[in-house]
Amino acid sequence: MRQFRKIVRFELKNYMTNKVFVGITLFAVIAIAVVMFFPRLTEAIGSDTPATDSTRSVMLVSADESIAMPIEASFAAAFPDYDVRLAANDRAEIEAQIVAGEAECAFCFDSLTSYTYFVNNLSMYDANTAIADEVLRTLYQTQEMTAHGMSAATIQTVLSAPVAHETVMLGKDQMQNFFYTYIMIFALYMVILLYGQMVASNVATEKSSRAMELLVTSADPVSMMFGKVIASCLAGLVQLVVIFGSSLLCFHANRAYWGEDGMMASFFNIPLDLVGYMLLFFVLGFFIYAFLYGAVGSTVSKLEDINTAVMPITMLFIAGFFVVIFSMASGSVDTTLVKVCSFIPFTAPMAMFTRIAMSTVPAWEIALSVLILAGSVVGVGVLAAKIYRIGVLLYGTRPKPGAILKALRRA
Amino acid sequence: MKLELSAIEKSFGAKHVLKGISLCAEGGKAFGLLGRNGAGKTTTIRILMNVFPADAGEIRFDGKPIDYRTVHFGYLPEERGLYPKKKIIDQLVYFAELKGMRRAEAIRAADYWLDRLEMSEYRNKRLDTLSKGNQQKIQLVTALAHDPEIIILDEPFSGLDPVNALLLKDVVRGEIAKGKIVLFSSHQMNYIEEFCDSIAILNDGQVVLSGELGEIKRSYPRNRLVVRSPQLPAIAEAFGNRAEIRGSELLLTLDAPEQKQETIGRLNAAFDIDEVKVFEPSLNDIFVEYAGERV
Repeated sequence: MRQFRKIVRFELKNYMTNKVFVGITLFAVIAIAVVMFFPRLTEAIGSDTPATDSTRSVMLVSADESIAMPIEASFAAAFPDYDVRLAANDRAEIEAQIVAGEAECAFCFDSLTSYTYFVNNLSMYDANTAIADEVLRTLYQTQEMTAHGMSAATIQTVLSAPVAHETVMLGKDQMQNFFYTYIMIFALYMVILLYGQMVASNVATEKSSRAMELLVTSADPVSMMFGKVIASCLAGLVQLVVIFGSSLLCFHANRAYWGEDGMMASFFNIPLDLVGYMLLFFVLGFFIYAFLYGAVGSTVSKLEDINTAVMPITMLFIAGFFVVIFSMASGSVDTTLVKVCSFIPFTAPMAMFTRIAMSTVPAWEIALSVLILAGSVVGVGVLAAKIYRIGVLLYGTRPKPGAILKALRRA
Repeated sequence: MKLELSAIEKSFGAKHVLKGISLCAEGGKAFGLLGRNGAGKTTTIRILMNVFPADAGEIRFDGKPIDYRTVHFGYLPEERGLYPKKKIIDQLVYFAELKGMRRAEAIRAADYWLDRLEMSEYRNKRLDTLSKGNQQKIQLVTALAHDPEIIILDEPFSGLDPVNALLLKDVVRGEIAKGKIVLFSSHQMNYIEEFCDSIAILNDGQVVLSGELGEIKRSYPRNRLVVRSPQLPAIAEAFGNRAEIRGSELLLTLDAPEQKQETIGRLNAAFDIDEVKVFEPSLNDIFVEYAGERV
């Protein structure tokens, strides 16, 4: 036990005096501080709201003079940021103007229910045709209803009749929890990949510098493995606490300047129980991967072999990450796939946390998932220590996984 | 103190590496573990230090199965290496702590040994700023600082200049005098001959020769004399085909050991003799004879 404490202290000191580690942490803190102070800075500099861009213009072309006027009025109202103008019916001229950038787009109307949309590059977020459809439909409906003898006032009332609704939320507000789930998943992703690599290269460095020859005869491999992993977990937590803590401080210092920014506020008003789950899954997820990385690190003799050696673990992790991110983006985190993932120890930290944050999960499922995960952490840890004990003395070409398994059975 | 290995067996996969190794080393004496490359020396040392278990056999310390919690080892591995980017004192203290010392003790011991090996000026330097020989001296500190009962030195003299070799010899003699068990593994036979009372020669995972070095040497036929004299050609002529000039010496082979005294008398009476002694094989000769087999 004392040996284990010495190892943790030594390894932790390694992190804390590592210039790269300190540098990354400081950089993150400064970057976040800059973001947090941004509204205050811009206000201090006193910039005006940017003037609307008058060059953005929409051309309207109609063969039928009778509909040109009402269309122009309605489009001017529907595209308030644009300069809406009627243009001559000359297709070549219109295309030339759009390509030259003199106008952003053009609508050529055949009738109230049919038109052609001209645009240079069709943006992914281009909603102009949807707006135009809506405007034209209203115009058409109004025209037809007027023709059937309805008064303008009645038509107005009919078309814009309000619908009242109320939402009763029985589970979670996914929008509300989306941001910190997202940030937690990303933090977990970054930290595991970063620290996993660090643990692996730490072990491989000891091996390639042959300090291992002395280490294996000085300390027991279980202490070595757990000491390294726990030290890196502590270092990771310290880093996260520093980064999130300083961003929280900066946010509070600038709260007034952020005003009603919903995303910022929702992020910093994270419920305490979620913080608890976050820590729990963070630590367990970190451990299980750090053990794997450490074990793999012990099987390589040369530092440059690490990247290929850790690839399968990284792939496994990234697969889990994408399952979670895609299900979050699709809005339903209760798919069978995510449910299954939330019980597999290697994907559970992200999948189960996401489900807890964005959906309603029965307590027994959470308990079962945590139990499986915690059990696997211990199992993987002991296995990793065994691989470590065998791996560290194997020099030369990297042993195949089969050879390691065989050696494990004998050990 | 007495360390015994009996019938140690070890296989790696299909490869039978140790085939029943038995050794016995005593405190206050140095023991030489010899063998060609791949004979099983390092595997024996690792099993002895509990890096991995033996498939069969037993290790006893003072007659009882060895308890690794109470018996401490100091090890200078053949493959040298510590943390190249770390301050020397930090890693020395770390290793001493790993071996069970308290921090203050560890610092004191590390400083003592740095001073003893004339390395104090490098205390706060990074290891990779040192020359190879000096790095080796630092590594030696990790083997000695925690005052272990058993010291295992694998090729301790390789890479040391003559002055440092003297310093190391002095340190090793000091440790032997303290009653510790010192295990040497080396290919430099002259050092083994100088230090070790007992040796074991491993070949292909087996002990092919073991015992007290003096006895082993005496076990060779004692019917040969080594003569040093300015009159070697004349002596050679007098003894005919019994004499053989080897460099600056002459080797006389007698019919029986009993003729020694009479022959020595004859030599002293007839020639100007600088030295005459019974021929004993060097450890080098013995090693080549036993370990060179089955090449």
